[in-house]
Amino acid sequence: MPPEKRQVRPGRWRQVALFLAVMGPGLITASVDNDAGGITTYSLAGAQFGTKLLWTLGPVTVALIVVQEMSARMGVVTGKGLGDLIRENFGVRTTFWISVALVVANLANTIAEFAGVAASLQIFHVPPWISVPLVALGVWLLVLKGSNRVVEKVFLVASLLYVAYPISLVLAKPDWGEVALAAVTPTFQTDGAYVAMLIGLVGTTIAPWMQFYQQAAVVEKRIDVDELRYTRIDVVMGCIVTYVVAFSIVMACAATLHRQGISIQTADQAALALAPLAGRYASWLFAFGLFNASLFAAAILPLSTAYFVTESAGWESGLDKKWGEAKQFYWLFTGIVVVGAAVVLLPRLPLIRIMLVSQIVNGMLLPFVLIYMLRLANDEKLMGVHRNGRWFNAVAWTTAVVMITLTAYLVATGVRDLVTT
Amino acid sequence: MQPLQPSEKFRFLYFTDLIGMKVVSSEGAPMGRLADLVAVSGEPYPPVESLVVRSAGKLWQVPWSSVESVNGSVRLTPGTALEPIPSAPVPDRLHLGQEILDRQIVDIEGAKLVRVNDLHFLETKGQLRVAHVDVGLRGLVRRMGWQRPVDGVVSMFRPAARYLNDEALLSWKLVQPIESAPGRVRVEATKKALASLHPADLAEIIEDLDRHQREVLFQRLDVGTAADALEETSTELATELLEAVPPEKAADILEEMAPDEAADALSELPGPTRESLLRAMERPEAAEVAELLEYHPRSAGGLMTPDLVELPPEATVADAFAEVRRRAEELPLVYELFIVEGGQLKGMVTLKDLVLAVDTSLTLTSILREVPATVRDDASVSDVARAASKYNLLSVPVVDEFGSLKGMVTVDDILAEVIGAA
Repeated sequence: MPPEKRQVRPGRWRQVALFLAVMGPGLITASVDNDAGGITTYSLAGAQFGTKLLWTLGPVTVALIVVQEMSARMGVVTGKGLGDLIRENFGVRTTFWISVALVVANLANTIAEFAGVAASLQIFHVPPWISVPLVALGVWLLVLKGSNRVVEKVFLVASLLYVAYPISLVLAKPDWGEVALAAVTPTFQTDGAYVAMLIGLVGTTIAPWMQFYQQAAVVEKRIDVDELRYTRIDVVMGCIVTYVVAFSIVMACAATLHRQGISIQTADQAALALAPLAGRYASWLFAFGLFNASLFAAAILPLSTAYFVTESAGWESGLDKKWGEAKQFYWLFTGIVVVGAAVVLLPRLPLIRIMLVSQIVNGMLLPFVLIYMLRLANDEKLMGVHRNGRWFNAVAWTTAVVMITLTAYLVATGVRDLVTT
Repeated sequence: MQPLQPSEKFRFLYFTDLIGMKVVSSEGAPMGRLADLVAVSGEPYPPVESLVVRSAGKLWQVPWSSVESVNGSVRLTPGTALEPIPSAPVPDRLHLGQEILDRQIVDIEGAKLVRVNDLHFLETKGQLRVAHVDVGLRGLVRRMGWQRPVDGVVSMFRPAARYLNDEALLSWKLVQPIESAPGRVRVEATKKALASLHPADLAEIIEDLDRHQREVLFQRLDVGTAADALEETSTELATELLEAVPPEKAADILEEMAPDEAADALSELPGPTRESLLRAMERPEAAEVAELLEYHPRSAGGLMTPDLVELPPEATVADAFAEVRRRAEELPLVYELFIVEGGQLKGMVTLKDLVLAVDTSLTLTSILREVPATVRDDASVSDVARAASKYNLLSVPVVDEFGSLKGMVTVDDILAEVIGAA
């Protein structure tokens, strides 16, 4: 039967319909990518260095596409999550250490998301001790009691708020020739702050949870090998969305904050980048965007962590199971949400430090994830004709090596900063 | 590991303890390390047939019969040489480390999917047989190489901990590997084992598997079990699975399914495939299903089954009982029986009415009650649900525009629709 199906080439409308049916995993992952950490880093990069870091976003996006395409392809071809594949091909020890690293990294990321929640609602004068527990409870209920599909759609529509940045950028009337030039001209400074920011940009854009989450989402959608090219379009579109949003945030901040010499200390100041669009309502708009981004990620990160750990350990998992059937799954999810929220409420909490820790652990994990992914994607038994091609491998390994070098540097300097501060 | 005493008749070994063990010649000269074990898959407790040995970066094999002792290292009998691994795969052989360890298998007793953390062998009479699979936490700890310290710490604080005393070992006989072939001898046993699962459990297991495993498992089911399982899965998945088996088998499965479920599954298939499957099905079943396909899947017509008990008014209570018994196999849920005269629905009797009838020779006319509600074939799910709820019906009769009875929607299908939409 399948061969017969393949011979029929779908018409254009059928193609569009097919694309819409498989669309989602790539776009959603990309939207979550612009989370609290992302918005913060992009804003800081624009405010502090103007357009100097803009050029890095292009190569980073290419690397992101390469990595995410590989994860989607493995999901489609094998029908298994990355956790399953790692467990089945590399055994218990490898899986255990990756699980530990992923839990720590995602816990740190979740803390950062709740910090984003606190910061955004403070703009509306809601103190953190009210906003954070309420939002944590809301996230918990939303994921456990709400319908997944509906929740995803709400978040996706809400992430349209990011359009505010491109519009604000246009209204700020930057010199477009200059912008275009800055987007493609590599500049390099050797001072520590510049390098640290560059690595921060890379680290926040390509994070390990994205590969795990996206592959799981592709598997859950039961996308067929026939539909692989539509999934690829989904992935590439998602990465381009990430690029446009990141680009606009950096540029908008460069055109406003950097030009006026304002360095970002508070969320209110970061919001000034939206002033050309929203005027005195800029901080509200910014707060909405940050709140949505933080909430979305605060829901998805703990969930995907719980999925990864329980699936690879062989415990029952999934929201369709009862609490008693899938204890480990529900406790992990609940634990990460509760701890993530509780840490933000600790008095005199070094939030910047926590963000740093989360970036370091992400950075430490990423090279391993990339290497394991590359080994899996080249496994003929697993991937058959869909294994990596020669030149794809060249690009992918280059990406991996660059990422490993950068993250090694990030980890080294991060650890140094942690020790010295 | 305890040295093997001559008096001991048997002992248990874990895969974790064996794997990576040094393989030495009878004189004790190192020959490599144990990389995997190959078992014959046909038997209830598969015996290990050969070892895979890694030596100088290459894989070799040694028959298990050449093993003299396993005691901290694997000692081979004098004159044993490493043999090259045959290039063509031998049928009915299981590479335990590669195909079973860390993979998902079906736990038949628990009716769920589990992941294999370790394998438990019984060594007796010079043979090593797979006895159990370990799916517990302790197996994971053992794989990490932490069993001793973790056991020590746990027994210090809670000597009665479940962790220490409750080994999560499943008998090999009660598990089903998915990705590896069951072995020719075991095909029938596999079918039987899978058929012993409740269709709803089997359906859930199938939902949890990845696409490849799902298709492999589904192909192993006999037609009846496959049909039962498909009735319990989502329509989307049923469609996917039907496409995974040869068309003739798909047609057989569809015939076995309740017509309304079969129509649902077919409705999602591409047109040409659907037509060819309908043609391959037996005539009466195909006609029923084809008729149901005309309706919108979420209308009363799409949900209804044509399998109902229809009796003339002059039939007796005894006739009614006989009719129910005769058709018990094919009927889904049966409670209300419908009295039809000249194509028109005249009334109904419930099983309760029949049981309570004073005399089995009474005609149905004398005990018949009015049908409290019927729905038209184009009615929506919520209309059907409302009728069932308001009049306490287990099955709601569906009529066409001329009032003739087309089928009934049973309450289980209504529930599935209502819960699914929530």
